Amino acid sequence: MVKRLSIFLALLGIIAVTALVLRLKKPQPAPAPLVAPSHAPYADSIGARGMVEGIDENVRIAPNLPGLISEVCVKVGDRVNKGDPLFRQDSRDAESRIANQKAQVALLEARVKESEVRVEDKKDDLARADRLLSQRVISEDVQRRKYFELQSAESTLGSTRAELLLARAQLTQAEVNLDLLTVRAPRDGDILRVDFRAGEYASIPPTDVNNPSLLLGETRHLQLRADVDEDSASRVHPGAAAIAFIKGMRSDPIPLRFVRIEPYVTTKKSLTGDSSERVDTRVLQVIYQFDQSIVPVYVGQQMDVFIEGRGPQPVHPDGPVEK
Amino acid sequence: MLRIALLMLFRDRAKYVMLVVGLTFCSLLMTQQSSVFCGLMLWTTATVRNIGAKVWVFDAKVEQVNEVIPLREIEVTRVRGVPGVEWAVPLYVGIEQARLSDGSFQNVQLVGLDTATFVGRPMEITKGRIEDLRLPDAVIIDQVGVDKFRKKGITIDIGTTFEINDKTARVVALCHANRSFLGQPYVYTTYDRALQFAKPQRKMMSCVLVEPKPGVAARELAENISAAPGLQAFERDDLFWATIRWYIKNTGIPISFGTVVLMGVIVGIAIAGQTFYLFILDNLRYLAALKAMGARMPILAAMVFLQSFSVGFVGFGLGVGLTSIFGYKVLKIEQPPFFMPWQVPAFVAVIIIMICCFSAAIGLRQIAKLEPAVVFK
Repeated sequence: MVKRLSIFLALLGIIAVTALVLRLKKPQPAPAPLVAPSHAPYADSIGARGMVEGIDENVRIAPNLPGLISEVCVKVGDRVNKGDPLFRQDSRDAESRIANQKAQVALLEARVKESEVRVEDKKDDLARADRLLSQRVISEDVQRRKYFELQSAESTLGSTRAELLLARAQLTQAEVNLDLLTVRAPRDGDILRVDFRAGEYASIPPTDVNNPSLLLGETRHLQLRADVDEDSASRVHPGAAAIAFIKGMRSDPIPLRFVRIEPYVTTKKSLTGDSSERVDTRVLQVIYQFDQSIVPVYVGQQMDVFIEGRGPQPVHPDGPVEK
Repeated sequence: MLRIALLMLFRDRAKYVMLVVGLTFCSLLMTQQSSVFCGLMLWTTATVRNIGAKVWVFDAKVEQVNEVIPLREIEVTRVRGVPGVEWAVPLYVGIEQARLSDGSFQNVQLVGLDTATFVGRPMEITKGRIEDLRLPDAVIIDQVGVDKFRKKGITIDIGTTFEINDKTARVVALCHANRSFLGQPYVYTTYDRALQFAKPQRKMMSCVLVEPKPGVAARELAENISAAPGLQAFERDDLFWATIRWYIKNTGIPISFGTVVLMGVIVGIAIAGQTFYLFILDNLRYLAALKAMGARMPILAAMVFLQSFSVGFVGFGLGVGLTSIFGYKVLKIEQPPFFMPWQVPAFVAVIIIMICCFSAAIGLRQIAKLEPAVVFK
């Protein structure tokens, strides 16, 4: 009895432990990524993190003069041509100055007219005095007085004319000042950001240089600023081919055209979107251009960039192999 | 003759039971303690097993997965530039404090998965959808967390909110994840959001997860990446063992478990050896009779070994059987740790065989000295 039972239980135990070991041995497979991540397309590729920007950089529009904003003429996303008004500032003061100057001009024009009449009158007087002097009707003294009266009238006319010129110049200045209150697009482009509202005060210099209130850029042709870690900077050569993927994605590669390498190695910011971006390292910036592809790409978007490297470097006779 | 040996063994019920119980206890002690030890060591590698990437890149001085020195984020692009890398994505792992609606808190293991690809996502979503992790404030919490919060009187379900470092986290899915060494629940979120949850530091990225190109050996790639200054890459299994080795080297866990296993061996030898010796002494008369009838020493030895191994087999079977019952029960509630690789029963079987041989050898010594005349005494 004990014999049977013990052997039976022992066999059962061994079966149980075998089952347990087999069950625990079952490996858990790692799940595949939800979206396949971007991968290096070249045999020797240099990874970089890029940010999309408008071609030739974005223009931060600032007012010419400080003043209250009376009208914003554009919306975000508007396409503007060179010279189109972007926003207007309060122009009542400037307009009243123009009216004032116009009145001044009109006044001086009347004075010039008046002086001209006087000069004609004095010329006439002098001609008559000359005639009477030759007939010995009047004394030379009287004729000389007439002459000087004409001279005086002519100089008055000259100074009044000069005043008129000055008033006209001031009118032009007032008109320019009025025109300055309308800020115009310096070139063709798209409005990327409008943070002005009518009634707000535009100060000079702008309150936050890094976050301009009005941003103009080109979104039809975009360019990509690729940050290459300074360690890999020496592997980048001008004209290197490159491919970009929207951050983290593997599908829809965007071919890039080399534009230039920024000659100054600058500090990289870790683009976390945090209000205080942290300095990460120094990076070489390489500029690439690309066209809008099937996938929409927006200015300010981050991209994974792969730049073709120069391939394995030859062994240097004296030094170690460059990695 | 061998039948006689077994009859002899089973006839003396008390000694048989005594022998079996001794060896059962011995093998139970050894398998159970070894399995708990293995389970505990396995817990230390929970992050490696939960994330499951093939190659992990850390700072050059990192020794194991639970103690990580953060890296600069640009290292991802550096790793991507290493030949043989199919893809590389960042990962955030860190212990953060979660505060519940009633004010009590719980430390959680926050995992920030690459925002676009979710590389390293939980293996098993038990409720909800992983895609919902893209929603604002979304997190996924594991079953351990649900249980821990339940003990505090809070039911976690989809839609529950709590705070991680004063920022709102909303549960969008529940998952099953391997339990970590210190038992902090795993809370998954996207990498970008994890940085928002985590306390700001100058460097935030914990490691880079890398997939080798097809045809590139993971270990070879890890060596290539490690050649870059300041970086160190581990193949998954290497990281797994490096972590376990770190705990074996730096904690007292192996010594305490090793002592218990050693005690099992000693108890086994003492009880089994002594009882078997008494058993042989008791049956000396029969063995002498057999010897007198002309049974040679090898046959007698075979008989004694058969008896000893039968006892060993039954004891071992019962011992591992009891451990299995313990194991099945424990695996259901996932506590205490339990993991039994095949090496554990194999190791215990070897020990039991050694004990049996030792006991049989003691018995044989008596038989060898035996004069057949004893039968007439």
